[in-house]
Amino acid sequence: METDIFLLIAALGLVTFLTRSGGYVMIKMFKTIHPRVEAALDAVPAAVLTTIVVPVAMTSGWKEALTIMVSALVGLRFGIIGVLVFGTAMIAGLRLIF
Amino acid sequence: MPGRKSEISAAVKLLLPLLVATAPFGLLFGAVAAEKGLSTAELVMMSAFIFAGASQFVALDLWGYPMAYGSIILAVFAVNFRHVLYSASVGRKLSAFNGWQKALAFLLLVDPQWAAAEVRAEERKGQGGVRPAFYFALAVPLYFAWIFNTWIGSVFGSLISNPEALGFDMILPIYFLGLTMGFRKRANWLPVVFSSGVISIIVFLTLGSPWHISLGGLGGIVVAAIIGKPKSDLDHNPAKPQLSQTDGN
Repeated sequence: METDIFLLIAALGLVTFLTRSGGYVMIKMFKTIHPRVEAALDAVPAAVLTTIVVPVAMTSGWKEALTIMVSALVGLRFGIIGVLVFGTAMIAGLRLIF
Repeated sequence: MPGRKSEISAAVKLLLPLLVATAPFGLLFGAVAAEKGLSTAELVMMSAFIFAGASQFVALDLWGYPMAYGSIILAVFAVNFRHVLYSASVGRKLSAFNGWQKALAFLLLVDPQWAAAEVRAEERKGQGGVRPAFYFALAVPLYFAWIFNTWIGSVFGSLISNPEALGFDMILPIYFLGLTMGFRKRANWLPVVFSSGVISIIVFLTLGSPWHISLGGLGGIVVAAIIGKPKSDLDHNPAKPQLSQTDGN
């Protein structure tokens, strides 16, 4: 492997690690966490995960949109594994038929 | 240490569906990388050093000669920027970890790992929270599976003729959807999800990917900060606000 490529991949690893530890380092710099910051951090999972799902649902086509909508309803009743199995089967089925 | 066994078995229970959900992406990455002309050493090193699927795909997209070093580094940083939010959120819940364990935990903080740690932190609130045994029993297999799958993909990639027909491309979005639904009993879930969704789609259609993730996420987080009842003002323990139970798995 060329040295340049090696250094590039190492740099990419470093950049990734900086993002993965950066939020913690920033929070650590403050002694106490303001309740509003606390509320904001508690919202991180739902806020970020939503942004990964919504554009896929709304820009891929009707089969994908329908699968995401029905899978969300399945998620009201069943856990993550149920949603995963149902959703994947549904999109594969729709693509097979249409 | 008492309880270590139950920590590990809780992680192992989560491991199988995660291995199934992430394998297609590793295989696909390996297949695309091989097609792009990456050597096995380059490919394995990439998976081992970066260990972040979406950003590896983006790097691959820009891969070529002459190599656009600056653009690749910037793109990987942009795609991985969401991890800043992950470590800020989950970092508060790693009090059982020493310094080195924390550093290693952040090194392995991929999306599903982070989500699992968030769910675990709620399940085990007041019972020690996230323990290193749980965290690493999940993270270490995911790490080696990723490297292994990308390598296998580069060797046998041409055998996956039509991954879309099997719904491979939709597995992770569906997985993340299931997780999002699992967090629905957290405070202000609906306004957060709604605003993140609206902002992410607007950014996706204007600025484009990957900014919709960080900016959309920030939108929902800001909404939570504005409408979030500062309930812990009344508590004696501002570091630990009440969270509702989640049935996230």
